Amino acid sequence: MDETPLTRLKSAKTKRFDSARPDAVAKVHDSGHLTARERIANLLDPETAVEFGSIAAIDTEGNWVPEYGGVDFIGQVNNQPVIASSSDYTDKGGGYGGGRLEHLIALSQQHRWPMVLFVDGGGSRARHPRTGLGHTELSGQFGRYTHFDGMAQLSGWVPTIAIVAGPSFAGHASIAGFSDFVIATKGSAIGMGGPPMVEAALGLSLTPNELAGAEMHDKLGGIDLLVDSDAEAIKAAKRYLSYFEDNASGELPERSLSDELPTTAHEEDHIFSIIRSLIDAGSYFELRPSFATTVTTGLARVNGKTIGLLANNSFIRNGEIDESAATKTARFVELCDSYEFPILSILDSVGAVTSWAEGATGVIATEPGLSRSHTRALMAHQHRTVPLISIQIGKAGGFSGHIMCGSPTGHTSPLASFAWPNAEIGSIDGFSATRNMNAFDDVIEPAETRKNIVNLLNLLPSQSERRSLISEKKHSVDTW
Amino acid sequence: MDDKSRQEIVVARKLAQEGSINARSLIRSISDTGSFDEYGALATSDDDSDGNNYSDGLICGIASVNDKSVAIAAYDRGIHNGTQTDRNMRKLAKMIYLAQKNRWPFIIFLEGDGARRDEPLLPPPIINYTRARWDVLEGLTELSGWVPTISIVTGDSHDGHAAIAFLTDLVIATKGSSIGSINATRVTSRSSEELANRGEVDVIADDTVDAIRTCKSLLSLWYESVNEFEEPDEAANISSIVPPNRRRQYDMRKVINAFADKNSTLEVGSRWGSSMVTAFAKLYGRSVGIIANQPMSARAGAIDSAAADKASRFIECCDSYGFPLISFIDNPGYMVGPEAEAEGMARHHARPLAALHQRNVPLYSVQIRKAYGLGPYAMSGFGTSRHVPDLRLAWPSVESAGMSLEGAAYLVKRREIKAASTPQEAREIRDLYAEEMRDASSGLNAGRTFSFDDIILPEETRPRIARHLIRTPRRIPSRKVRPIDPK
Repeated sequence: MDETPLTRLKSAKTKRFDSARPDAVAKVHDSGHLTARERIANLLDPETAVEFGSIAAIDTEGNWVPEYGGVDFIGQVNNQPVIASSSDYTDKGGGYGGGRLEHLIALSQQHRWPMVLFVDGGGSRARHPRTGLGHTELSGQFGRYTHFDGMAQLSGWVPTIAIVAGPSFAGHASIAGFSDFVIATKGSAIGMGGPPMVEAALGLSLTPNELAGAEMHDKLGGIDLLVDSDAEAIKAAKRYLSYFEDNASGELPERSLSDELPTTAHEEDHIFSIIRSLIDAGSYFELRPSFATTVTTGLARVNGKTIGLLANNSFIRNGEIDESAATKTARFVELCDSYEFPILSILDSVGAVTSWAEGATGVIATEPGLSRSHTRALMAHQHRTVPLISIQIGKAGGFSGHIMCGSPTGHTSPLASFAWPNAEIGSIDGFSATRNMNAFDDVIEPAETRKNIVNLLNLLPSQSERRSLISEKKHSVDTW
Repeated sequence: MDDKSRQEIVVARKLAQEGSINARSLIRSISDTGSFDEYGALATSDDDSDGNNYSDGLICGIASVNDKSVAIAAYDRGIHNGTQTDRNMRKLAKMIYLAQKNRWPFIIFLEGDGARRDEPLLPPPIINYTRARWDVLEGLTELSGWVPTISIVTGDSHDGHAAIAFLTDLVIATKGSSIGSINATRVTSRSSEELANRGEVDVIADDTVDAIRTCKSLLSLWYESVNEFEEPDEAANISSIVPPNRRRQYDMRKVINAFADKNSTLEVGSRWGSSMVTAFAKLYGRSVGIIANQPMSARAGAIDSAAADKASRFIECCDSYGFPLISFIDNPGYMVGPEAEAEGMARHHARPLAALHQRNVPLYSVQIRKAYGLGPYAMSGFGTSRHVPDLRLAWPSVESAGMSLEGAAYLVKRREIKAASTPQEAREIRDLYAEEMRDASSGLNAGRTFSFDDIILPEETRPRIARHLIRTPRRIPSRKVRPIDPK
């Protein structure tokens, strides 16, 4: 058969599919991961995908040449538009070339389509620079964003989700670092300099996971969620995206609060059981669950409506708020404000503390005190416009009220501040303004708490209504 | 008016002005003679049993500093340990209101033990409608990014006082002062030096005189009030600061001092994130902010999480003050290795990139020697960004690459290097190839490829940037764009 442009195209395209490269596919499967195309197929709703860059150029011999390093699609996830891209480690190290990502960022920016990016890869490879190539040439500032400034521009405007399922270093890790929500699979790694660079610079020979493992980031706050597999990561991304729309109807909580007051936190599950009794069954999606655990942050639904949930976990160190917990809170408030999630804040904390390494032992101990990380949370609250409902269920000592809710008399004062009758009021500590925290709009029984939240949320516009009212980006979500 | 009521005021005012000696003396030292207009001199606390605690431990008002207005306040430890009450917080709130409304800098001398614990409390407040608004902490967050706010910690400052400090743009603390917390059972204080080592305090001053001098320098930068300037003494020697041997380090502060107007440099955060130098300065009388890598530091200029945070906050600060930014680049990239990754490099690295992206002020970058990997991006913005430096310069000693040239050579020639019979031979293979790459990225080649707007001689740096600066009037946004992130 004579070769025609059409057959040449078909044959070039076929080569892109997994079925045409069994060796590469086997290699990916052997490592316990999905191929780039499998990831996207799992993510997007069936029959919604439009591929970009399956052919990117025609070479001098007239052959159709695909884009390299990964695959890009626009499609839908649960009927919402989503841009989905995956690097492909088996294809030239997964490098982003030819402006692939830049085009997707431009579309995301213009249409406000969320991005889901699988970013495993090693960044650029060492090579002999052509003359002057080592220097970064700056020009073209009227055109598209590149991936760095593009990701900075998207932050706070459209949700950006990075999935790291493998080693991710340099430029790839940077994309993850800029993303609002970073999911990583066990065994993966995210770092600025990969093993070869660390070997060259520091003489250390480490595996990617030893150098910058996802498990380490899970504890220290570098990622938002650690999962077992690529499939779990995709499920988490879908779940995260689902909160950007309200559900038409809600579900009842898993359990209801009795007339009795929950006693002080002597069980690990204390705060989570209270949360479960306030929100729709199974709707709590915790973010950064293993980092700074004296505060829990996550997305949830109440009667179908999305909220950001922020609560002190007084089972752990009496809910004290150290620098990390304050940072976690501040960034979460920025996230909720950017994407119009009303905040439910549950207070039960002894207050702000700072962390210090003890003498020679180096053991970290905390002591009452403040830092700029704590005031950062107050700064985030004062500049949010999304409403907040607070419930004090125990203590609110030492500046914790400001960190969890903002200043009680600020112009972002809570839509409503409630207390349960066992809340500690009238206590004084050195944060003079804290005494104002002992002032509530009402003191309520636990059993009527959910009803109050539901009724207040019903007064607010829906997720999509609120978002459509915001015609320009409010602010970025800080990367840390 | 009857004489009795007139006389009462005269007596009370005299008593007030004789009290709070320390706080009044601080305000006197910083403000122009006779310029202080006090607010609430007669205000006392409700438990003022002897009736003499006028001002309630907080002296505040409007003053002029070098003929420019500021809102100013000082706590006096002599009265109830400088503690905060409803009344003196309302005085402070008034100062914040005036600063916000008139766009006056806000200055506060801090020393005291937070809330006054023995202040008689109203019956336990349940409903908040009747409570007085204080507006102090929320007011400070509103000032952030709108006017400069400066706190000067002159002694032990606890709780509520610490909250005020950490909401201001610049924390100056005198040696021997401390910041911490007091509760029923213990006092936990950390020296200001310790706090400066982690970036909580920006400048450590020898004493209050030194602290006031620093504060005045920052005010003169904000008001650009001194127009005459002198060439720096070291200007003529700027070419000799960077050693010809590229393995030898040098102190970046020398470059800054040889570049900026004589005696104009005000370094902030010198005790932390030491691989990054951040300094306010003047250039031909114009206020500027300088971010610079420090080759002479523990991490040899590599940008770690602390350096990234430090640069990011400083960039945000300069942007809201309308200070053009100048960036001196000589870094091997972001810090790598397990320790740096555990510090969260993958997230912190993005902060200066984002801050540079969001800026409105001009940026002038000068690459002195190396910039590897994402190093040039961190210091000058992005690849083909919309916010490129207005002037992107390099010295002839410039070199760039994806990673250190020796490192890249090691990776490219790894097989040959590992096969080498002696370590000496291995090093030679690496260095030979690195030199080859270095020639390719030489200053001349950088100029020929328009990788920079110009390759200049070191002594041309100051006049070249100044000429551009003079063409660009200072633009301070007429409304607040964003707050300055406290950390």
